[in-house]
Amino acid sequence: MTSDTMSLVLRFGLAIVIIGLGVFAYWLINQRLLVRASSNVFTLLKKLPDKPVLVYFTTPDCAPCKTVQRPAIDRVSKMLGEKLQVIEIDATERPDLAKVWGVMSVPTTFLLDPRGEARYVNNGVARAEKLLEQIQTL
Amino acid sequence: MAQILQKVDHSALKTNQIIIISLNVLAFILNLPVLAAFVAVMMGIGSALKIPGFGFVYKNLLKPRGWMKPDVLDDNPEPHRFAQFLGFLFMTVGSASLFLGAAILGWSLVWLVVALAALNAFGGFCVGCAVYYWLGRFNLPGFSKQPPTGTFPGMKPKIGASL
Repeated sequence: MTSDTMSLVLRFGLAIVIIGLGVFAYWLINQRLLVRASSNVFTLLKKLPDKPVLVYFTTPDCAPCKTVQRPAIDRVSKMLGEKLQVIEIDATERPDLAKVWGVMSVPTTFLLDPRGEARYVNNGVARAEKLLEQIQTL
Repeated sequence: MAQILQKVDHSALKTNQIIIISLNVLAFILNLPVLAAFVAVMMGIGSALKIPGFGFVYKNLLKPRGWMKPDVLDDNPEPHRFAQFLGFLFMTVGSASLFLGAAILGWSLVWLVVALAALNAFGGFCVGCAVYYWLGRFNLPGFSKQPPTGTFPGMKPKIGASL
């Protein structure tokens, strides 16, 4: 292996490590968000017991919410019917909830298992396939 | 007094950030200071023209083909321009350091820009904007804008205009 190739491989490896550290930091932040969400489930007054819940934070002027997130949630909701409860929260009407749940941007979706533990958080748009995959593990 | 916000397409900003991240990481892997310098130049041109440096990719390619949807929010464009200008300064010093042989300093600055752009693109937090609003608290000339109502300084706005 020439020194140029070695250097390229080393630099590629270093880039992967640096990016990996960034992803790990992001994962840690998400874990903190999940803990925070789990401790604030009581703020969801409409939550039904013993049912997985999708908590969807949105705002009226959020374009990706309308064009991508809303259709994805409708699709998931249609497929699962009564097996899933969807709670939509308008962050402009309930800034208090957005604050206690640690929502920094919209759309943000949380998935709670039937015991009310927050298991997944999606910052930004989450496609129907991803939501279904997450719900199946609850 | 309530301020008048403008329409800011955050998809254009996000495209700009993702291209900056990609080109800088590629520059590091391929050890191409000239590519980092190219990013600096594009950010400088963007700062001068008051547009995102790589916004043309979104405007002419991604948006017309529907590959990226507009995400227009009521926001202040000035902090985003300031953030890009800060990035331009870091990239310029970083590129100059690379050409002068100070590789560690140069690549550190390039990675700093990558980290800040990633935080903005994927986390919705613009550090440069937060610095802008922070400087505004000292009544410095040119830093007159306030964060949109209900928005933490630097965070992507969640709510509508406060006209």
